[in-house]
Amino acid sequence: MKYAFYPGCVSRGGTPELYDSTIAVANKLGIELEEIVGAACTGAGVLQEKGLKLGDTLNARTFAMAERMGLTTIMTICSTCQGVMAQANKRLLDNPDYLAEVNQELKPEGLEYTGRIVIKHLAWVLVEEIGLDTLKTFVTNPLEDMKIAPFYGCYILRPSNALGTDENPGRNEYLERIIETLSGEAVNFPGRLQCCGFPIMLINEKNSMEMVGKHTHNAKAAGADAMVTPCPLCHLNLDGQQPKAQAQRGEKIGLPILHLPQLVGMAMGLTPKELGLGRHIVSTKKLLSKASVRA
Amino acid sequence: MQANLRVRRYDPESAEQGSHLQDYQIEVPDHFTVLDALMKVREEDDPSLALRCSCRASICGSCAMTVNGRASLVCKTKMLDVAPDGQAVLVEPMNNQRVVKDLVVDLQFFWGKVRAVEPYLQPRGEEPEGEYIASNESMLNLLTPMGCIMCGACVSACTVLEVDKNFLGPAALAKAYRFVADPRDDETQQRLESLNESSGVWDCTRCYMCVDVCPKGVAPMDRIMDLRESIIEAGMTNTPGARHIESFARTVAHSGSLDEPMLAIDTWGRTNIIKLMDNAMLGFRTLRRGKLPLRSGPFHPRRPGADAVGRIFKRLSK
Amino acid sequence: MADHDVLVVGAGLAGMRAAISAYRSGADVAMMSKVHPVRSHSNAAQGGINAALGGGEDSVDSHIYDTVKGSDYLGDQDAIELMCNEAPQEIINLEHMGVIFNRDDEGRLGTRAFGGASYARTFFVADITGQAILHVMYEQILKAGVRSYEEWFVTDLIIENGECRGVIAMEMLTGKIQSITAKAVILATGGVGRAFEPSTNALICTGDGMALAYRAGSTLLDMEMVQYHPTTLAGNGVLLTEAARGEGAYLINSEGERFMEKYAPKMKELASRDVVSRSEATEIEEGRGVDGCVFLDLRHLGAETILTRLKYIHEVAYDFAGVDMVTEPVPIRPGQHYIMGGLKTDVDTRAWDVTGTAGWNGVKGLFAAGETACVSVHGGNRLGANSLLETVVFGKIAGEKAVEYAREQKDFTIADTHLSETKERIKGLFDRADNGERTAAVRMELGQVMNQHMAVFRNEEGMQLAAAKVRELQERYKKLPVIHKGAVYNTDLIFHMELGNMLDCAEAICAGGLLRKESRGAHFRKDMPERDDENWMKHTAVTFSEEGPQATTLPVAMTRWEPQKRVY
Repeated sequence: MKYAFYPGCVSRGGTPELYDSTIAVANKLGIELEEIVGAACTGAGVLQEKGLKLGDTLNARTFAMAERMGLTTIMTICSTCQGVMAQANKRLLDNPDYLAEVNQELKPEGLEYTGRIVIKHLAWVLVEEIGLDTLKTFVTNPLEDMKIAPFYGCYILRPSNALGTDENPGRNEYLERIIETLSGEAVNFPGRLQCCGFPIMLINEKNSMEMVGKHTHNAKAAGADAMVTPCPLCHLNLDGQQPKAQAQRGEKIGLPILHLPQLVGMAMGLTPKELGLGRHIVSTKKLLSKASVRA
Repeated sequence: MQANLRVRRYDPESAEQGSHLQDYQIEVPDHFTVLDALMKVREEDDPSLALRCSCRASICGSCAMTVNGRASLVCKTKMLDVAPDGQAVLVEPMNNQRVVKDLVVDLQFFWGKVRAVEPYLQPRGEEPEGEYIASNESMLNLLTPMGCIMCGACVSACTVLEVDKNFLGPAALAKAYRFVADPRDDETQQRLESLNESSGVWDCTRCYMCVDVCPKGVAPMDRIMDLRESIIEAGMTNTPGARHIESFARTVAHSGSLDEPMLAIDTWGRTNIIKLMDNAMLGFRTLRRGKLPLRSGPFHPRRPGADAVGRIFKRLSK
Repeated sequence: MADHDVLVVGAGLAGMRAAISAYRSGADVAMMSKVHPVRSHSNAAQGGINAALGGGEDSVDSHIYDTVKGSDYLGDQDAIELMCNEAPQEIINLEHMGVIFNRDDEGRLGTRAFGGASYARTFFVADITGQAILHVMYEQILKAGVRSYEEWFVTDLIIENGECRGVIAMEMLTGKIQSITAKAVILATGGVGRAFEPSTNALICTGDGMALAYRAGSTLLDMEMVQYHPTTLAGNGVLLTEAARGEGAYLINSEGERFMEKYAPKMKELASRDVVSRSEATEIEEGRGVDGCVFLDLRHLGAETILTRLKYIHEVAYDFAGVDMVTEPVPIRPGQHYIMGGLKTDVDTRAWDVTGTAGWNGVKGLFAAGETACVSVHGGNRLGANSLLETVVFGKIAGEKAVEYAREQKDFTIADTHLSETKERIKGLFDRADNGERTAAVRMELGQVMNQHMAVFRNEEGMQLAAAKVRELQERYKKLPVIHKGAVYNTDLIFHMELGNMLDCAEAICAGGLLRKESRGAHFRKDMPERDDENWMKHTAVTFSEEGPQATTLPVAMTRWEPQKRVY
């Protein structure tokens, strides 16, 4: 199983533990990742506000580079990258004239996108390609008694017409299925499909912190020991800004936020160091002790 | 099929505090919508059940509710789609609005937002004798926002309204776009200035909830993005939101990837000492965890491919 | 002192247009509607609005002629002339308000073809014309700051000394019953489609205004003229606009034959609605249908036309019947859609005989416009896209004339008994014993009998059966209980009162039908299949009495158009 790997800016910047844990888990699962060297930022929806065609051209360039690598599936580890690339791909594939227009812009770079790329987040790869049954065979350290609240991040879910929800209606329950496969208990709470507030963190911090506080509070109130997210941007806000959200809310929450590969890696017996679990703002120590008591 | 409805009931006249769930089991034909099933309950089982509905054809906008947690126009939501195996369907009133009774919410909140955007054409000067001359493209462009039936589903689903009731919200902003983009309206500048203020276009998180639940394809969030674009084009670039986009573009154009600390500094404003001090603490914490990308600003590492990205920017930036 | 100069009951297109024109005339005007204004059924008008504005070979006279012919010569020609003459300016007025009408290459208003029209004179906004105008009209209401009583249900007209002085109404969100007085009242409450099952009409179309006025002594005109729309979707009966045929869609039977070529060789699918609906019913009766339906075939129009100009009905056919009209023909059948008849008014929308010599009964101070009214511009059959036109032209006139009338009125106070009587009556409804009858079941019986006997084809026996059934239901209605006793948003109570209104309208529909001894327009009697101009170039007129409806006739206003044989 080989994928063109698109790690995204944040796993190479603010959340290096996501990159490291992804590589560790991929190695263990036998997933071959070939990084698309020189790929650009997807634009995260922000560049798209500046110019849709600009954003689509940057993404078409990434797709063309993956095609040139002889691969057809790009694996992402970021909900936002997933959503933005999937939307760009849909616009390009829905409209051949537009694709041709964008390809004109790629010509000077010696690239052409032929429209064969599929973009899949690690979460989808685990469920749809590896299969949960296979994943189960890698579990050496089952997460029994651990209650995990899944937090998807908007762009891996919406807009649903670009994210294949019709063909794969279960995609908004994959995290629960993965948690259960790892023998953990998935915690249901109201915010699981909602916005973490990251995109307005710098613009309307109060609202953004309100969202962080509410979701972490609700997950904790529902009994969660930790929250897991497939989106590093959600992680930046839910983990990195949790102290500030707590202060605004006047309440101690202290809910560890895990990246998806960290959770999977824990169940596969990877060490906290390999998974970068010491690099979080909200300490994972208590969670780890709970996990190791069982192990 | 057997329809199992689990309806959130609330009766302000009852002694009971708050709401409760009530189950109804009825036999219905396979083609039934959730509305058909609710109406059958009301007609045959329980005349006390309050809900709004009228056209049954997704044009009047009366029957938005939440179905299994998702804001939906129940006249176009098929029972078989939400309960293919006959499982219980949870029907509740819309979110973010005060419940009057059962599935009926107070519309004042919704319409208050719409009123706030001065939702009417404001041409200046004498009206022409005949029609205003306008291109068909400009009218077709308005067809999407004009397709809004004011059902409130987007307001119910909006993740920002959930934490901040002052936000204008998706429906009102889509309505605002309808006038900003109307070539016959002469108050564009004043409208954009007002939408540029707090609680306006920049408070949207781009979560796509409204796009996903809109039963009419209005895609309110896309209209909000259109408004942001208009605001920047009109030269109103000195807001955190506008600076955020510019800084984002600048760092990606420079290095091919995002420079997070620089983005923050630019968005707050480079001279915003209070904000910078306030966030130094977070910087310190992240630094201690070995996470903060130290090489920022001019030192942000240029990724391989940055040259190509820069060239594409140059060609495609307006 | 009266609460308002003018009170408009109903806030669809006719009502809001009336409110705006009354406001612009400088009066204190208020609107009242049992739903929020943008929920009104004007939304459902899809195809467009007619006016001879385009220039070219079209002319106002041609529009008048087509409308007169379409009405099967039953429309009042003075009213039709007025409507068609006002039409071009009113289209411009709507455009100035902000309606996003389709344009031509020069940026001027563009048109499409429609049924029964000699030229393409239908102005449109894709296939959401009604919605697009309704929402713009409400924008204008917000701009003007017109007082709007939203979700208030009118239970009674206040009549003192033969003059209308306002209404008694219930605020649905609280259950509070109150009197709202006004020097003039405009009824614009729409049609009564819900007396038929199925119907394209919204659940709110229950003939409230017609019934309020009827019980107060007014005249209902040509109530037997009930339009069945040729293209309603199989299954739930949702409307698919005539614009589909205007854009070139075919009607085909089970053998794939374009059967309209037989019935209307020249106009084919674009013959007037009564003709097309009868043709479909004949095809189905003679065994060339499938499951009680024939087919609307749009496939040759191509995806682009369908997805841009007929976007909404594409969505509707897909959502409600699972049919993609780009690739498949859509099963359709005639379905109840509109009532040409209604509350008799003069061309100034006054629902009383100002001259005192015309021989019909009305209530002074009461005005009406839109589907509620019968002025009469549609006669025996309404042309597509003339209904929106009627609402705005006569809505505007109603606002102006009501203000004129209100200015002539002295201030008044009303007796307290109006309010107390209504409260007593509603308390009586709550106090009724539960005899096992349910409002919805009685409504269903009414709808089914009307759809069986007062539909596309009628005869004496069937209409007698329908009239007898309506009488039986009237009797049962007198004991029908209200089960839910709450004050807040009690739809059980509202439906009960609406059913009473529908039953009153239904008895008038049957009475008109039994009186008219010929076939004309939508009233096609298999036992009397010919039009009889000698004896029946007349309106039927029904008034209320305790003994049952009283039916008589009134003359048709003729100006320039002599009856001719109607060929399409």
